[in-house]
Amino acid sequence: MKKEFQFLGKDFPRKEGRARANGFEKYPSDLYFDNMLYGRILRSPYPHARIKSIDFSEAEKLGAVCVSYEDAPGKRFNLRLVSVPKATYKDWQLFSDHMRQVGDFFGAVAAETEELAEQAARVVKVEWEILPAYMSMDAALAAKDNLIHDKVFLEDQEIKIKNNIACTREVVEGDIEAGFQEADVIVETEFETPRQYHCQLEPRSCVVRPEADGGITVWPTTQAVHNTRILIGSVFNLPLNKVNVVRITGGGHFGSGIHTNPVTLITTALALKSKRPVKIVQSREEDMYDHVRYPSKYVLKVGARKDGTLVAGHMRAYIDIGCHHIQALAYLGVMSGFWHSLYRMENMKYEGTAVYTNKVPTCAMQGYGAPQVTFGVEGTMDMLAEKLEIDPIQLRIKNYVGLGEVFWGQGPTVKSPIFSDGVVELLKKGAESIGYYKRPGSQKQTGRYRRGIGFARGFHTSGTGAPVPGEVKDYTTVQVKVNEDGTIDILTALMDHGGGTLDAAAKIVAEEFQVPFDKVGISPADTRSTGYDVCTHATRGVYCGAGAAHEVAKKTKDVLLEYAARYLDAYPDSLIFSYDEKSGQTRISVWGNPEKTTTIAAVAEHAMNKDWGTAIYSKSIRKVACPPAYTNYFVEVEVDTETGHVKILRVVAGSDAGTVINPILAKGQLHGGFYRGAGMALLENTSYDDKTGCLTNKGSMIDYKMLGIDEMPDPDDFEVIFADTYEPTGPMGAKGIGEAAFNPAPAAVTSAICDAIGIRFTKLPILPEDIMDALGEGHDK
Amino acid sequence: MKKLPIELTINGRAHELLVSPKETLLNVLRERFHLTGAKYGCGIGECGACTVLLDGLPVLSCQLLAVMCNGKKVVTIEGLSPQEAAAHPMQDSFVEEGAVQCGFCTPGMVISATALVEEKSEPTTEDIKVALRGNLCRCTGYENIIRAVKTGARKMKEV
Ligand code: FES
Ligand code: FES
Repeated sequence: MKKEFQFLGKDFPRKEGRARANGFEKYPSDLYFDNMLYGRILRSPYPHARIKSIDFSEAEKLGAVCVSYEDAPGKRFNLRLVSVPKATYKDWQLFSDHMRQVGDFFGAVAAETEELAEQAARVVKVEWEILPAYMSMDAALAAKDNLIHDKVFLEDQEIKIKNNIACTREVVEGDIEAGFQEADVIVETEFETPRQYHCQLEPRSCVVRPEADGGITVWPTTQAVHNTRILIGSVFNLPLNKVNVVRITGGGHFGSGIHTNPVTLITTALALKSKRPVKIVQSREEDMYDHVRYPSKYVLKVGARKDGTLVAGHMRAYIDIGCHHIQALAYLGVMSGFWHSLYRMENMKYEGTAVYTNKVPTCAMQGYGAPQVTFGVEGTMDMLAEKLEIDPIQLRIKNYVGLGEVFWGQGPTVKSPIFSDGVVELLKKGAESIGYYKRPGSQKQTGRYRRGIGFARGFHTSGTGAPVPGEVKDYTTVQVKVNEDGTIDILTALMDHGGGTLDAAAKIVAEEFQVPFDKVGISPADTRSTGYDVCTHATRGVYCGAGAAHEVAKKTKDVLLEYAARYLDAYPDSLIFSYDEKSGQTRISVWGNPEKTTTIAAVAEHAMNKDWGTAIYSKSIRKVACPPAYTNYFVEVEVDTETGHVKILRVVAGSDAGTVINPILAKGQLHGGFYRGAGMALLENTSYDDKTGCLTNKGSMIDYKMLGIDEMPDPDDFEVIFADTYEPTGPMGAKGIGEAAFNPAPAAVTSAICDAIGIRFTKLPILPEDIMDALGEGHDK
Repeated sequence: MKKLPIELTINGRAHELLVSPKETLLNVLRERFHLTGAKYGCGIGECGACTVLLDGLPVLSCQLLAVMCNGKKVVTIEGLSPQEAAAHPMQDSFVEEGAVQCGFCTPGMVISATALVEEKSEPTTEDIKVALRGNLCRCTGYENIIRAVKTGARKMKEV
């Protein structure tokens, strides 16, 4: 149940809003320093090749500073450091002579202007040895030699690669043979999801400035400043106190900054060699060859009893990870975990295989593996409901993993019990609001335009905390201090990607101290001034990050209470904080003694003048649970049976985020999550020319195709319902929202299309031509 | 390559510049004046992040050569508000309506939105969708942006 709050649950304009709307916010690509050079990355035009020789002489004549695999430390690493070392495969090098995709990098140049750098890059001469390219998993798996990687390292253990298999993972619970024996109905289907591109609006970029003490300052596009620092330190053999990574706003991440982007390491190499500040802003085309969502292809077999109880499930997945590991092992783990936590199933088996191909390396994108898995699992639930003649909503309610059960937040090693659950409430309200039970269904429609209502449910973990350590690191360090005028500063390396994570931290601290929101500030942060924070990923920002701020704020408040007690001549436990709206002051009063009252400002100032000290506290906080943030989407679409075009008419989103910190921003998460999820369902994908290994969209955003403003429903047709829940382990009852806002969206759109035309698609995206083909209209491919 | 002299008024101040014939307006604004409110999102006219006002009309500054702007007036997001101290009502509305997430598209969006409202003081949802079709936002799903433009239009009437 929700609690009454002074500030939480009310709409507030976000703190960073003004700078961003007025054009003063600085992003990495916006930085300029005296004496700065511009870098350009040297890239392979071939999907698979080896460099026989490289000649920089012409570039050097133009005055360019050049780096390549010839002067790079050979060390292997993984760009993504959120997993513990024993679960980390290492197959990256700073530069290599072995090119594994079109756009792979073997060196870089830096020059006085962008134009000169471009010229210099063009005159670098390379002699190539072309190798056979593997543009599909089948081709890659059939290969015996000329592998994409011959050997990689798991922590420090050398692993020989066979058939381009990057890694495998098996997760078993119970006994599926026995489970399927008990099933009255079995559904087995192959599902496939696309290589969606993040298309964050700012291409990945970086600026690095060498400092007088031999160190460097780095302004990267990242979601993890500390992991970036640790990686730079280890790749370049620099002590960490000489590497300062600054938290700077990024123009969108969506997961593309959980790992350190190669451009960050490349810029560092150029800055160290030239001893001058260097900036690299990747072009959009380069960015498209840089990162992409994990696609998934899997066969899902699920058995159920007549009464709808699920008894067994088997998932066999093949993941085309592209040419590098950005933690594919973790990806396979979360696929099993997200599946396991959607519906109760005593007997389950997950078998995942990650396959190298000569394509863009895959990484996390909003939802990680959850949208991929939810797509198939929710599709299967609809099919089971049909076979069993059970209402699809009831089938979900009967089987979903909810209150009191154990939840796998991030794969099999991150588990915790569920303490809050708004699933039933949200499904009921959503169905009611959209008129789910009044839909005509495909059978009754005959015209050109057919309407359908569908839904899907899902969740995301709130962070990767758990009672025992797992494969993922998870903690955040925060400092909270009360200034001498009663205002408050929060210092932490936690990052905001635009969703309002830091704003949420400030609001929670404001609530704790009962001071108005504008009196709580977020200090600029870098790795030198802050303790470790793992990364803003896994929807951990509010629950773990702002949660850490809340825990620390309570400790800071204890210090302040000590001072206030001394000042008022009372005991700390008898003091009450209250916000007086009229005066805008926060009062501290002794209960039962109304004359004994003061303000935070007076206490803080007095404590300074009496040399008692500053009310300040700093600590690393690890969350010991990972509550599911549940979401469902009810969607109404209209399918044009003459063109195959799908129009989204109406959306009813249901979100169980616990206490909602700032509703207007939380709604924005659902709008955005749905938009990208519907994009994954209807058009987003990156495909390749098998012969050249190039992206068929040629680096163009228009040809990549995303939903436009005119393809989203009108604001009045996008309803958001928040569940009335309170997460007891969360900061003031809050849990996550970000990725949960995406996860069921593709499945919900697919289900609505099925309701409209009676065809269930099992492969995304569902393009107009796919719909025409399926309708049997003889569409020419 | 020979540089060419041009005159450009940027946010109310006149400048005389020597530019190379290949230099884009976006480059001049960012590299020379460090007016970084106009963003580089694609460089090929696809995203709208570089939108500025040229003689009062929204243009993609990555698609214009600086020499083509000779003698013209450029307004960037930094100079949009007529009063130095206060924000433009459209900027305020974007913040209030939660239309700013990462903020990278916001300057271009706000510029396009104000140009629309200058032309049509009470834009419908349809008008907004047409006017902002060339401004991509990857964060917001556009819902709060549409609301913000309507609120901004109301506020622009009041001032
Ligand atoms: S940068 Fe000009 S349209 Fe994208
Ligand atoms: S707010 Fe991030 S791109 Fe629009």
